[in-house]
Amino acid sequence: MHEARLMRDLMTRITGVAAGNGGGRVAGVHVWLGALSHFTPHHFAEHFVDESAGSIAEGAVLTCDMSDDPTHADALTVRLISIELAPD
Amino acid sequence: MAVESRTIKVDMLARVEGEGALYVRFRDGALEDVRLTIFEPPRFFEAMLRSRAFGEAPDITARICGICPVAYQMSAVHAMEHAAGMQLGGSIRDLRRLLYCGEWIESHVLHMYMLHAPDFLGLPDAVQLARTHGDLVRQGLRMKKAGNTLIERIGGRAIHPVNVRVGGFWRAPRKDDLQALVPELQWGRDAALRTVQFMATLPMPELEQDYEFVSLRHPGEYPLNEGRIVSSAGLDIAVEDWPQHFEEFQVRHSSALHARIKARGSYLTGPLARYSLNFDRLPAEIQQVARDAGLGTTCRNPFKSIVVRAVETLYAFDEALRIIATYEEPSPSFAPVEPRNVTGHAATEAPRGLLYQSYTVGGDGLIADAHIVPPTSQNQATIERDLWSVAQEGQAMADADLQARCEMSIRNHDPCISCATHFLDLTVERT
Repeated sequence: MHEARLMRDLMTRITGVAAGNGGGRVAGVHVWLGALSHFTPHHFAEHFVDESAGSIAEGAVLTCDMSDDPTHADALTVRLISIELAPD
Repeated sequence: MAVESRTIKVDMLARVEGEGALYVRFRDGALEDVRLTIFEPPRFFEAMLRSRAFGEAPDITARICGICPVAYQMSAVHAMEHAAGMQLGGSIRDLRRLLYCGEWIESHVLHMYMLHAPDFLGLPDAVQLARTHGDLVRQGLRMKKAGNTLIERIGGRAIHPVNVRVGGFWRAPRKDDLQALVPELQWGRDAALRTVQFMATLPMPELEQDYEFVSLRHPGEYPLNEGRIVSSAGLDIAVEDWPQHFEEFQVRHSSALHARIKARGSYLTGPLARYSLNFDRLPAEIQQVARDAGLGTTCRNPFKSIVVRAVETLYAFDEALRIIATYEEPSPSFAPVEPRNVTGHAATEAPRGLLYQSYTVGGDGLIADAHIVPPTSQNQATIERDLWSVAQEGQAMADADLQARCEMSIRNHDPCISCATHFLDLTVERT
């Protein structure tokens, strides 16, 4: 449940950033997963596929950096590093 | 000319906020009201299950929780098999128990190390705990990984496993695959013993509650997948009689359902209940570890649930090693199940407590009705009762301290509604 909510928030940010940069389809998403976030890249990708279905990010190539540092200030959460907008 | 894609640098955090709110009102120096409000909207899993094939239930219900998917799968398959008039034994039964051990390990360790221990040390979260107790957190992460690996080896993947089916498993792990896990599980067992010893040193707030404990009880083992539903007030019923004795109900201030024993009231499921009703089912060595940690044969201090959780983690490692030592690959890996037009019931022991499910399956094999009662809803009313006690005791505290104590109190039972740090929007009225 926690992961689903986190993913929903992330999707809101992805679509917001895309809209703020001229809109269009999101071709790629780059995230950083905190060591204490309870996500593995595989698990995150599953939630991403579910949450992005029907959105401008559907089918986006996902890049996940998995941190192994539990002392990192953001270790409990997920950082959206960048998105790649597809050409018009 | 081809137009290139554009990369937009963002670097922002995803957040979960506003999961819950706590309202506390003091009037003329006396506590007048406590209400825990959960905002999470209904997720309609029961409705989603209707008209789906009975064999889909374990995969659908596994999606309810990323921390305890096995519990949802186990209650689902046992309920379906109950409806079909089957009871499985042998290696399939052992494998299910082993899979559940993996879930208890990963869930309990996450709960203790990442969510609850920082409360006792006055730290805001697990990141700060990692900075002050680095070796401890690394130990917890390795223990959690051992539990996840066990789930992955049996369930096909660590989170939301896919290898569980009604009647058994799609494919049984080979004996060698499980034997390969033994060294890490032995390390984990030693680490779990150190965990009990560490958790027992944490400063424990004094609070004794007159809970009615409810858990499964099995004739010969600490309960996971099977047993009768018993309580500390003398209830002793077959699982299929759950609807005659328990009921869920709505409260105006929360979207989360509450539950009660009919004509009696709230009750508690989970580690404190399991331990207190099944202490005699723990191996003698683990009983002694519990005693050495200062626990009696029952435990009514909710803050000591972190110690009980550590004892259960030790048991889960111990039980996993016992099962692997005698494991023989079942062949075939599942028994065929023919649906019958009846209602099946099952309850298993999720890490956070009793998880009851019932399904009415038609002769066509489609689910006509589904009922899922997670421990989170069963414990809601009791969590509120605890919050009454905590607020009563903490009347003189500053609001920030009272908030921290209330969050800690909720995490005694359930991290699922408090896993985001500072999840609560606390309102204290003092008139």
